[in-house]
Formats: sequence, C-alpha cells, structure tokens
Amino acid sequence: MRRLAAITVTALIATVTACGGVGGSADSGVYTTIDGAKQIDATAPINPFNPQGNTFLGYDAMTLAWPKNDPVDPNRFYPGIAASWTVTPDQGEVVIHLQPKARWSDGKPVTSEDVRTSIGLAYTQGGTAYAVDPKAAGSAADVRVVDARTVKVTQGASKSNLFLRNVLSTVVVPAHVFGHLLPADFWTTLKAARGTGPAAEKAKAQITGLAEKVISFAPAKDVSAGPFTLERVNPGEALLVRNKHFYANQNIAPDRVKVLNYTGNQQIWNYLISGSLDSAPFTAVPTGVLKRIRETEGNEVVKGFSPVAVSLAFGQTRKPYDNVHVRRALAYLIDRSQVTKVASPEAGTPAKTTTGIHAKSAQAWLGNGIGELDQYQVDPAKAAKELEAAGMTRKGGKWAMPDGTPWKVEIHVPASFSDWVAAAKAITSQLNDHGIDATVLTAADYTLYLDELAAGKYDVGFWLMALGPSPYNIYQRIYGSANGWQLLAGQLTHVPPGTQGNWMGGPEIIDGINPGALTSRLNAANPDEQRRIVGTLAKLTNQQLPVIQLYDYVNTQFVSTSRYTGWPPADSDVLRLPAGVWMQLGMIKEKAGS
Amino acid sequence: MNTVIRRLTGHLARGIAMIWVVTTISFVIIRNIPGDPVRGQYEKLIEQGMGPDQAERATAALYGFLPTGSLWDQYTGYLNGLIHGDLGQSLSTPGTGVATLIGSAAKWTVLPVLGGTLLSFLLGVTLGVYAAIKRSGKLGDALAISGSLLHGVPQYVIGLLVTAIFTTLWPILPAGGPVDISFEPGFNAAYIVSLVQHATLPVLTYALASYGGWILAMKSSVATVLGDDFILAAELRGLKRSVLFRYIARNAILPLFTILALSLGMLFGGAIFIETIFNYPGLGLLLVNSIGARDYALMGGTFLVITVAIVVANIAADLLYAVIDPRVRTGGAA
Repeated sequence: MRRLAAITVTALIATVTACGGVGGSADSGVYTTIDGAKQIDATAPINPFNPQGNTFLGYDAMTLAWPKNDPVDPNRFYPGIAASWTVTPDQGEVVIHLQPKARWSDGKPVTSEDVRTSIGLAYTQGGTAYAVDPKAAGSAADVRVVDARTVKVTQGASKSNLFLRNVLSTVVVPAHVFGHLLPADFWTTLKAARGTGPAAEKAKAQITGLAEKVISFAPAKDVSAGPFTLERVNPGEALLVRNKHFYANQNIAPDRVKVLNYTGNQQIWNYLISGSLDSAPFTAVPTGVLKRIRETEGNEVVKGFSPVAVSLAFGQTRKPYDNVHVRRALAYLIDRSQVTKVASPEAGTPAKTTTGIHAKSAQAWLGNGIGELDQYQVDPAKAAKELEAAGMTRKGGKWAMPDGTPWKVEIHVPASFSDWVAAAKAITSQLNDHGIDATVLTAADYTLYLDELAAGKYDVGFWLMALGPSPYNIYQRIYGSANGWQLLAGQLTHVPPGTQGNWMGGPEIIDGINPGALTSRLNAANPDEQRRIVGTLAKLTNQQLPVIQLYDYVNTQFVSTSRYTGWPPADSDVLRLPAGVWMQLGMIKEKAGS
Repeated sequence: MNTVIRRLTGHLARGIAMIWVVTTISFVIIRNIPGDPVRGQYEKLIEQGMGPDQAERATAALYGFLPTGSLWDQYTGYLNGLIHGDLGQSLSTPGTGVATLIGSAAKWTVLPVLGGTLLSFLLGVTLGVYAAIKRSGKLGDALAISGSLLHGVPQYVIGLLVTAIFTTLWPILPAGGPVDISFEPGFNAAYIVSLVQHATLPVLTYALASYGGWILAMKSSVATVLGDDFILAAELRGLKRSVLFRYIARNAILPLFTILALSLGMLFGGAIFIETIFNYPGLGLLLVNSIGARDYALMGGTFLVITVAIVVANIAADLLYAVIDPRVRTGGAA
C-alpha cells in the first residue's frame, strides 16, 4: 500500500512538472512565428539554395533588397544588404552599394566579393537574371566588383524590365563559406558558356552540373548577415538568436525568434487561439475559427493586397468550351459574390469582372477602362442567348449539346484546397439551378491535379492567376506555357494544344492579336507601352474568357499585440514580407511591461 | 537447438523473399504514380506568392535529383543501392539521404506509438481480464462499454478532442511539436520535461484509440478460457485465486501476443493522423509528405522500412510464440 502511495505521489509530481511552464513562447525577448513558405526539416542543410534549407528569409537569410508590395511597379524595393542602388533607364546596368556596416555573424565584413560569389552560385541554379544562355531575356552579361562595397551588374542584349527586380532579389551568402563550391575557373567557364558552339555547350553543362553540389552543401553552422542566426533546429521548431553584427541592430527588438513548424492550417489556428504566436502568415480560416482567434486577447487581423486571384479555366479545345459563347454563358450564370461568400469570406473579394488582373492592380493599370469592359453580372437571359448562339439546345429544362447529347459540366479541383472545393460546389449548385448539369470532381492531391491538367484531361478546372505585380508575370499565367506560348533562349514559340503542357489550348491569334507575343513583349516594354499592352490583353481576356475570374485573394495576416507593438498597418507595402524584414525596418518593438 | 536454427533460417529466407517481392511491387507502383514532382513544387511556390520566373529558378535544379533511365535501369540501380545500404537521395529535401530522413523521423515515431501501444496494451489487457471475470457485474459492463465506445471512435477525432481540451479549454500541454527548441538538447531536466510534455497528448491519443481493441479482445479471450475444462479442474482442486488468475491470463493472452507483436511491427508505419494533428514529425507524416511531393526514393525507403519491420515482427512473434506456448514448440504434444 505504501509502495502504491509512493508511486501515486511520484506520478502526480511528474504530471505537475510536465504540465508546468507550457507556453515558452511567452518568454521575454522571444518572438514566435511560423514560416508559411516551407515546413521545417531538421535534416536539411543551412543553405538558402536548398528549397528545404534551414534558412529563414528576413531573419537570417538576406537578399540585396526587399520588394515592396506595389500593385503595379515590381521594381520598388526596401534596402537589404544593398543600402542603395542606381539603374540606367533601360535597366542595362545596375550598380549596387552595400550597407557600409554589414557584417556576417562571424564578424567578417560583407563585401562585393560575397555578392559576386552569390551571383555565381545563382548561375548554377539557372533562370531569371542568372540564366547561362545569353539569349534568355533579362540575363546578366557581366558582374564586376567596383570596390569592396560596390558591385556592377550589366544586363545582356536581350533586355527585360524585371532585371533590377531579379538582381535585387539575389540571396547573399558568405564567400568564405560557400565560395569553394565554385571552381577557380568559374568566371572563365561562364564567359565561355555565354558564347556559341560546342565549347559553349560544354561550359554550360559544367555550370549547370554544379547545381546539385550547391543545393546539397551543408555548412557546419549558420553564417548569416541578417538580424538573427540559426542556433538549432528540431523537426518541430527552429531557434534563431540575435546576430550582434547585424548592421541595423538597434532596430531589432527580440533576442530570439522561434519558428514553429506546421503540417496543416489547423495547427496554426490552434497556436493562434492559444495565443502562442506573435505573427502568423496568411492562412485560410473559416469564419467560426476566425471569431475564436479574434477572441484571444491581443490577436489582431491585418489585411492587405495580395496579387493573386483564382479562376475557372477552360480546356478550349474540348467541346463545348471551344466556343466563346459557352464560356460567356457560364460567366453570366456564376454569382461570384455568392461563390466568394461560401469559399473565402475572409480572404477573398469577388472579382469585379474578368481582366486577368487583381482588382487593385486593374484599377491602377486600366483606370476608367474597367467600366468599359463587360462586368458579367448574373443574367440568365443573356446566358441563354449566348448558349443559343453556341447552338446549345434546351430539352426538358436541361441544356444539351448542339447534337442533342447531354451536356455535363465537370469542374475539377484538388481535394486538398478547401476553398476551391467549396467554390466549385457553389458554382455547380448555381449552374444546376439554371438547367446545366454540373458536378465537382476532385483530384487526390495537387501534384496529380497539375499533372492531369497539363495532360489536357480536364474540361474545366481551377487555376491561380493575376500573379503580380509584374504585368508579364500576370499575363504569363493565361498566355504562357499553359496556353502554348514558350519562351526559350529569348525565342517565343507556340506549341499545338495537347502538347508540352498546353492544356488551355486557345488559338494563337485572336482577332489579329497574338496575346502570347504581347505578354512576352511586356517583359521589355517601357511603362507607356506596358499600359497599352495591358489594356489590350485585359479587353481580350474579358471578351474571350479563357478563364472566368472568380475572386481576388486578400492577404490576411495575424499579429498579437500582447508582447510586441508597431505592426504594419492594413494595406502596408511590407505586408507580404517576412516579419524579420519588418524588424529590420524598425517596425516591431517590445511592448512595455511584457 | 538445430530445430530452432532450422526454423530461424526458414523464416529468414521467407522474410527476405517477402521483402524483395514487396520492394519490387512498391517500386513499380511508386514509379507509376501520376504527377510531376517538379511541377508540383513550382506551383506550390507560385501559390506562396513567388513570381513564375523565380519559382522556375527555384525548381529547375530539382530535375537533377529525378531518377533517369529506363524503369529496368532504375530498378537494378535501386536494388544495387539497397544491397549496399544506400536508400538514395531525397527529392523533397534535395541532397539529403533517404536513410537520414527516415532515421530522423523514426525516433519521433517510436516514442508516441510505442508508448501508446504499450500503455493501451497494459491497460486493455489488465482491465480486459476484470471485464471478463466481472462480466455479469456493473464494473464489467462499464469496462466493456468503454472499450466498445473508444474502439469505434477514429484516432483523429480523439486527437482533436484531446487537443481542444488540453491546449485550448484547459491549456496545460503544448499544442504541437516534439520538444521546445528553447531547451538545450541532452540529458537535462528541462529538455526531458519538455519531451514528456510534448509526447503526452500523442501518447494519450494513441493509447485511447487502441485501448478499446485490447480490452475487447482480452475480455473475449478470457471468457473463452474460463469455460475450458482445465479451469474447472483447477477450481475443483482448490487452487489459490492467484494461481488460477495466472492460468487464465497466460492462456488468454496468447492470441493477443501475436497482435501485439504485429502492432510493434506496424509501429514503423507511424500514426499518420496523430502525427499530423500534433505536428509530430514521425514516419507516418514523412510518408504522407513524400507521396504529396512524389519523392520516389523517400516513398520507397519508407515502404521498405515498414515492410522490414513487419516481417521482422512476424518472425519474432512466431519464434517467441513457441517460447511462451509449449504446444507450438512440441507440435501440440504437450
């Protein structure tokens, strides 16, 4: 009996001990957040070139500059490792001046050689400003160290107006840690690779052959120039501690940052409800859960612009969606407000119409021109006229194909996207009410969905669009590779529907306009020409409806005022940046008495 | 002794053949799962707000980690790697070996699943005996009903329920993760307490979810044994209750022993729902993520570990069964 009592007491003490001290996040000087960009993998290297790498942009990993959330201009930035920069009007030459006080966490200064090495490493990964192919639009032709704190990057002959953006987005790593990954003759090889002939091909292969080595490299410890450095990581959390050498240390309030892993939105909701997080990235939240999150003391919601929209896209080679009248009829029957209310009431606003652009950007690009476009307000009578114009027939209250066979609208969505599934169900319900037999079909996961979409297996499916702020990026989603236009080595080609990922299958020329060519032109056009092209593409998209724009996403973030203050206000142009950048900019301060 | 060695050799030969068959079948299935992992990763980045060019750059190098060559070449290369202890390179964590990832996840699976299995087994078996002996009383009924109820509730419901209770309504335990990163890893009180705190809800969920099965099985088994002639004979011979209880328990537990051994083998399959709910980075979560990312090497490696664990558990159960049940050892002559 005495033994039993002893065991019971021990168990009680253990339980009390185990249950005590929960909520370490509330420790003074600790900032707790979640990195929405990736799940934590404790086995991944501390390497920003590794997609799963244990580096956290804005906290330890630094880019030259941080993009502002501007609805129109993609070339507006806040300083990062670069204190300032100058650019020629044609973006042919970018001169970067580094922060004079920038140091790595091991105390060594950040120099131009670090930037040059980082650019060299970026070349091994290919793409954007650092494409090895000299014909690729917007690729750098030369990287020159001007002095210890100044670097000049020159654009090649095939110009892109995104060159500055892509250069300033370069992640900077220390040459004394990563430099050995580049062979001694790297820059000579790169020069050879930018030529022509077999020697150039061999040199290209040598450079791209370094990609795996660069991705796999695992430094023994984190040497960063950001406000924090990674102290340790386990599969559930990462701990970053203050970098005493950070150039703007006076701006940084927390001593430590805890990044929590998450495997699903439910965990973020739980963390928010329990008041554990100081800030959380955008997460889809049902209304009831949002209410509970708001009820937790200190929790606040900050909303801002997010250049992303969701649409219903058509396989335009598949009948009857090859007929523009059918697509228009569907646009007249879908109540976008109702769909948004059901699918994304907190993080979406109904699309005003289909332009291909997020409403906020569209206002800036098109101005009053939006009013001249068809708004596609719900109008069953117009829809019926459009369907009749397409030769569709109505039998027993149900619309049928022109040859009299039943018309069944199958809307495909990935099962894991709850707002898309809800939106698809709302749409099918609306279509059924108007005599169109519609069903929702789900793909097991997003990877499978994309594969089947690209293979042209779907008549109608959901598609992310309006990915701004660059107008090229926006229209590339509609008139890019998914619709047959491919830009390889600066050469634009159009491949037939059903091949090489062309699942949208729209015509190459519509009313004398080649939308893919215009989209590609957006890359190099000056602002006036861009405006004209965007106007043309918005009108064409509105008339032809390769997609029906359903709702524009709203960047909905959560912050807690319990421990920190100075959060970005609603619609701030830093809202899409990590909280580490907010700290760098001096925005977050410890709450008095916390 | 020769018999044991002969049995063991036979088991091992069959086990290796089984592992090869399962490995081959899973290899073919995995390589034929539709979905382009690089496109999936690209769209994931787009969804997170990355520009198309940037996303393209971030994913282009992943092509180097995809398997190349004919299916046969890939298969022979895979088998050759396995023979040399190489499970390949992960695509979702490029540059990291599959064995490293599995090793890292395995330790987080063992704690909640093993803890939960043993806890539920001990509780279920002990209370199952009482439920059978007192089956006509209120206690027996209550125990049987608790078993039936918990047996019918899915793991994820129990998980969500205990999360709501212990992290929101009465917030005394952490909502997720394996351990608080603030504490220095090692054999120190703060770290161990944190480990226990974080493991409590996953273990509790697993134990509650499995407890019903054990109690019902044990109750049924004991009830069967209670009707056997040898129990009647023992009672008539006036044996002490403790001796009688041992007779009952030892005979009734035999069928459960096999289930326990297989459960321990299944342990390496992880507990997907529990790991997901509690953000516990075990093998189940690793497998699910690898399927989502179409990480062929990681999927193959995880399936292999699960297969080997089950085969080994089967062999162990078979051999140990002979130890605890003399009838098996002597071909039923005892």
